[in-house]
Amino acid sequence: MTNHWIDFKNSDVILIMGSNPASNHPISFKWIQEAIDKKGAKLVCVDPRFTQSAAKAHLYAPLRSGTDIAVLGGMIKYILDNKLYFEEYVKEYTNSAFLVNPAFKMPGDNKGVFSGLVNAKYDKSTWTFQKDAAGIIKQDKTLRDPMCVFQLLKKHYSRYTPELVSRISGTPKDKLVEVYKTYASTGKPDKAGNILYAMGWTQHTVGVQNIRTMSMIQLLLGNVGIAGGGVQALRGESNVQGSTDQALLFHIIPGYLPTPASSLPTLKAYNEKNTPATKQPDSLNWWKNRPKYMASYIRAVYGTNVSLEEGYNLMPKVDTGANYSWLVLFDQMYKEKFTGFFAWGMNPACSGAHSNKVRKGLTKLDWMVNVNLFDNETGSFWRGPGMDPTKIKTEVFMLPCAASVEKEGSITNSGRWMQWRYKAVNPPGVALPDGDIMSELYYKIKELYEKKGGPLKDAFLKMTWDYGVKGFDGKIKHLDPHAIAKEINGVFQEDKKVENPSKKGEFKEFKKGDPVPSFAWLQDDGSTSSGNWIYCASYADKGNLSARRGTKDASGIGLYSDWSWSWPVNRRIIYNGASVDPSGKPWNPGTPVIRWNGTKWVGDVPDGAGNPGSGRLPFIMKPDGVGSIFGPGLADGPFPEHYEPLECPVEKNLMSPQKNNPAIRRFDKAGVGSDIDVYSGVASCDPRFPFVCSTYRVSEHWQTGVLTRWCPWLAEMQPGMFVEMSLELAKEKNIKNGEKVIVKSARGEVEATAIVTPRFKPFNIDGNAIHQVGIPWHFGWITTKDRVYKPGDKKAEVFTFGDSANLLTPTIGDANTMIPETKAFMVNVVKKGRG
Amino acid sequence: MAQKTKLIDVSKCTGCRGCQLACKQWNQQPAAQTENYGTYQNPPDLQSNTWTLIRFQEIADKDSVKWLFRKDGCMHCTDAACVKVCPSGALHYTEYGTVAINNERCIGCKECVSACPFDIPRYDRVTDKIYKCDLCLTRIQAALEPACVKACPTGALKFGDRADMLKLAYKRAAELGGNANVYGDKFVDGTHVLYVLQEKPSTYEKLPANPSVPLSIIAWKDLLKPLSLLAAGGVIAGSFLHYIIHGPKLPDEDQNHKGGE
Amino acid sequence: MRKGLIQATDAFERIVHWSLAISCLILCITGLGMMFQSFNFIGTIMGGLKSLKYVHNFTGLFFMATLYFTIRMWWKEAGVFSMPEDMEWMMCAGGYLWHVDKVPEVGKYNPGQKAFFLVVAGCGVMMAITGLIMWFPLSFPTELVRWMFVLHALGFVTIFAFFFVHLYLGTIGSPGSLDAMLSGWVTRAWLKKQHPKWLKEMEHEGKLVVYGEEKTSTGGHGH
Repeated sequence: MTNHWIDFKNSDVILIMGSNPASNHPISFKWIQEAIDKKGAKLVCVDPRFTQSAAKAHLYAPLRSGTDIAVLGGMIKYILDNKLYFEEYVKEYTNSAFLVNPAFKMPGDNKGVFSGLVNAKYDKSTWTFQKDAAGIIKQDKTLRDPMCVFQLLKKHYSRYTPELVSRISGTPKDKLVEVYKTYASTGKPDKAGNILYAMGWTQHTVGVQNIRTMSMIQLLLGNVGIAGGGVQALRGESNVQGSTDQALLFHIIPGYLPTPASSLPTLKAYNEKNTPATKQPDSLNWWKNRPKYMASYIRAVYGTNVSLEEGYNLMPKVDTGANYSWLVLFDQMYKEKFTGFFAWGMNPACSGAHSNKVRKGLTKLDWMVNVNLFDNETGSFWRGPGMDPTKIKTEVFMLPCAASVEKEGSITNSGRWMQWRYKAVNPPGVALPDGDIMSELYYKIKELYEKKGGPLKDAFLKMTWDYGVKGFDGKIKHLDPHAIAKEINGVFQEDKKVENPSKKGEFKEFKKGDPVPSFAWLQDDGSTSSGNWIYCASYADKGNLSARRGTKDASGIGLYSDWSWSWPVNRRIIYNGASVDPSGKPWNPGTPVIRWNGTKWVGDVPDGAGNPGSGRLPFIMKPDGVGSIFGPGLADGPFPEHYEPLECPVEKNLMSPQKNNPAIRRFDKAGVGSDIDVYSGVASCDPRFPFVCSTYRVSEHWQTGVLTRWCPWLAEMQPGMFVEMSLELAKEKNIKNGEKVIVKSARGEVEATAIVTPRFKPFNIDGNAIHQVGIPWHFGWITTKDRVYKPGDKKAEVFTFGDSANLLTPTIGDANTMIPETKAFMVNVVKKGRG
Repeated sequence: MAQKTKLIDVSKCTGCRGCQLACKQWNQQPAAQTENYGTYQNPPDLQSNTWTLIRFQEIADKDSVKWLFRKDGCMHCTDAACVKVCPSGALHYTEYGTVAINNERCIGCKECVSACPFDIPRYDRVTDKIYKCDLCLTRIQAALEPACVKACPTGALKFGDRADMLKLAYKRAAELGGNANVYGDKFVDGTHVLYVLQEKPSTYEKLPANPSVPLSIIAWKDLLKPLSLLAAGGVIAGSFLHYIIHGPKLPDEDQNHKGGE
Repeated sequence: MRKGLIQATDAFERIVHWSLAISCLILCITGLGMMFQSFNFIGTIMGGLKSLKYVHNFTGLFFMATLYFTIRMWWKEAGVFSMPEDMEWMMCAGGYLWHVDKVPEVGKYNPGQKAFFLVVAGCGVMMAITGLIMWFPLSFPTELVRWMFVLHALGFVTIFAFFFVHLYLGTIGSPGSLDAMLSGWVTRAWLKKQHPKWLKEMEHEGKLVVYGEEKTSTGGHGH
């Protein structure tokens, strides 16, 4: 999130699209409600189904799953046509005036794709800006030049007429325009529009572009950086923000630094490649500091055992261009490229798209370690449905671990707040905190390396492992979370006198071991360490700031800056430099995020504000210092374009001749996926699977339900797999409410209880009635009543019904992130016992 | 002691069911095996182990749909039919005006089940006792709000002095406009659970539009109950008067004599 | 036992009568224990109010059984009014309330007794039905159950009141009556006063059983 949960109360219009916070983020409605009650805010919900959030919205508009870009593209057109954008903001704080390479072509003139597409991959050489001799980007501040971003944007989205959008999305035109009108009303300086999205946007082959489209709208309306504005990713798990910050994903190491790659053999090469440069005069280009953060990270891992260069050399490297994301990992597992696997706090047998493929992949392992609170469908995959244990070689180990309340540490919520949590109770039995399990592993692997050697031996052995009190055997038994938090913050590795980064000429002396006050003090010479630069300042000289519980709100806009700690540098609203005009006055004096009191900024920690009138460009994380309406960084285009989901119910894309996102990785192509990766309805509609299906969550269960299905109170409220469908579809398929049905896709089937409801309605797609159904993904066979129980097997107190929704979902991901497209795929629904 | 009241503002309820779970947790009520029967609502109804639940109700017309979430549970009447009929005093008014239940005294006669105009008390066959919400009496006594209120994330549930809650309820209903109304202060001498409803009361499933203590219960408890003592007393008094005024009906003297032959 | 006493009831009748009377009394007392919280203490001697509920419910079953025998046994004698003498008797209230020179002669049971019998029988049946429904209220429509409470209470009001009338007239209000249900033998004088017509009929038919005498005729009320 750019902002934070409490800040929702400052919004004038809140758009819920691609999320269902009423069900999945219940506490968010405290603040949404406050906006409605105290500010008279309007709540708008756009969703394929009428959700609990829709039930609370002032305005609801349905759309066919996978057509968000069409709908939002139409909004961009509406905003531009009606001149509802925030002109000064757009001119000063975005790249709208930048002139683009004349060779750049857009889908409208280029058969539905951008210029540069070669073999399902874009050559981005035309996605560039025109520069003058000094290397400064050419601009037309009048926004009239036909090659300026603004005019290109206008041209690109001129195709997204309400009529065409309505034919694609099935949203009635009047609803569409009402949504546009309501949301575009926040283009005024004193109005704030907010977008709450979640997996409803990410889990598409155009997931990133969904979010891009909205980010562009937010820039056009001047909604980024202000209170009640921004772009809010409602995280699907309480600590997903934290785990992403700490390198959950393969392509980054902690702090969003790129993972070292084989093509970058030296630290110098790494820094050259990954450190952006700019000639824009007023751009701070914060990422120019990347070498400092990389150097500090290497120090955090290896201490002073090795030189920085050596440390970089030791670090494992990814093959350049190789993809190690979830779908690919399990594809490789299925193809027997793995021998062992740690399923650590994960349940891929239920959470992975195309779970049948995942489950089969697990049978091809030699060993698997399941670290979890409970046994799950992954740990017991070998005795799941359709498995013959006598034919499976995989040796499975179960390591019970501690639940969140059974250990100390921090989580980072969607609002980027790092919040310290204490241990409430001891873990049961032999269960250990994850860190302690990891520590045991560390010592064992170390021993094996020392005895037997092996690849990456030094990468491992040279690591520091100094996270607690050592026992007589020289080993740390219990990892101290504070020691880890301190390492993440970073410390000086030597005595050093450093110039104050914000006061030229003022120096400060640090002793070896002193915590680094904030990332501005980090050095590229190896004199500082920081496990994650964005967390630097969380555990510095004032101690563990994430444990703070101050409830004072000096800001008056709900920043609560003394409650826990927010990265970066306790900034609650990022890009807040854009909340003031170039002279430093808040656009909206009613809810100022930062204010210049004559000598300094007050309010939030300023972000890219400089001194008033200094001309500082506010988007300091962008090399050019401005918000990217034209975004050449993505794999599938600098402007979002509507493409159909890979599996879709229409013959062709009404927007262009290009049906699907051209830059996605198809697993059904020769040499890519596997024999069981099949899709339906790609080239043309597949009558076997005529209905669009989405997977989603309910309030009562968490993720695959590993935790919640064992909780009788929760299982009682949502006891099993269901499929929601319209009255019309139920009539057509002769299905009654509450009946058992089979939902089938090209990859598998699940049994479910039909919920026949007026909350689902068939879509009118270009004159055809298209049905959509929906299923929750929390269930799995291990807590069902009818599975085989052996003596000693734990039985759920309240059984749940049905297996995983992901048995149906396809192995296909977003062009940038490879998040699977589980929000739009094709299925059939039949009454149980009717073939 | 000030009268306490819980305010349920259905316009703010998102159906997250935190209250439903918090109730079970605080009151240590077990879950029962359920199955999906074509709705999010589960358990299907109040049970001896489920004292509150969100009722999910869909209302659709041609163009639009509404999804109503209503937290159902004891209304804590001022003139409570259950207390009126309870033979043992298990159901009783508390110092806060709420209706609590002393399970040790409950004899499982189920009279309250039949009497309640809101269909709230539930009988458990195993313990042969009645169960219902007591508005977390022990929590109120410890100056805490009921567990459901504590758990509510959106402010749909509020708890406080009755006068304050009434004021709040009417203010909110006025804000909402349209069909919004306050439900609970106009019948059974006022309930200690108030609703702010967005729709007319009759729209909501299992919510009586005009609840009252049933006439039969009034006839029974307010009329016949005293009458039974009155009648018995009257008869005894009458007999006594008969005896002293008229005297017993004795056999005639001569025949008496004859009978003694 | 004195000679000349006449047998008014046989043993079976007396057993049924007392079974009904005692169960009715228990039902009234336990019912009171549940009806008035101030009488909850009655439950204490039974081990608590819950036990009292069970005593009430199971006594109710016993009551139903005896009620069945009661009705079967006395229906003909006490369930049917014989006109016009019963009407005449009623017009003068049987001589109980004011002085009547000549009380109309009635049969074995006077209309007052018949009325009492009918009330007991009618209310008893009603109490049985309403009681059973109240025992299993969840199996019947709520509105029905609610009115069962009313009828049950109404039955109680009636029975309870009649109970005291009966008690009075069966004891001190009509000395000698108690014997009819204790030993079964009554004096001719009492019988003549209370049930002259029956006495005459029995004498006429020769069915009268007199202690110490041979039966005046055979084929009487044989046992």
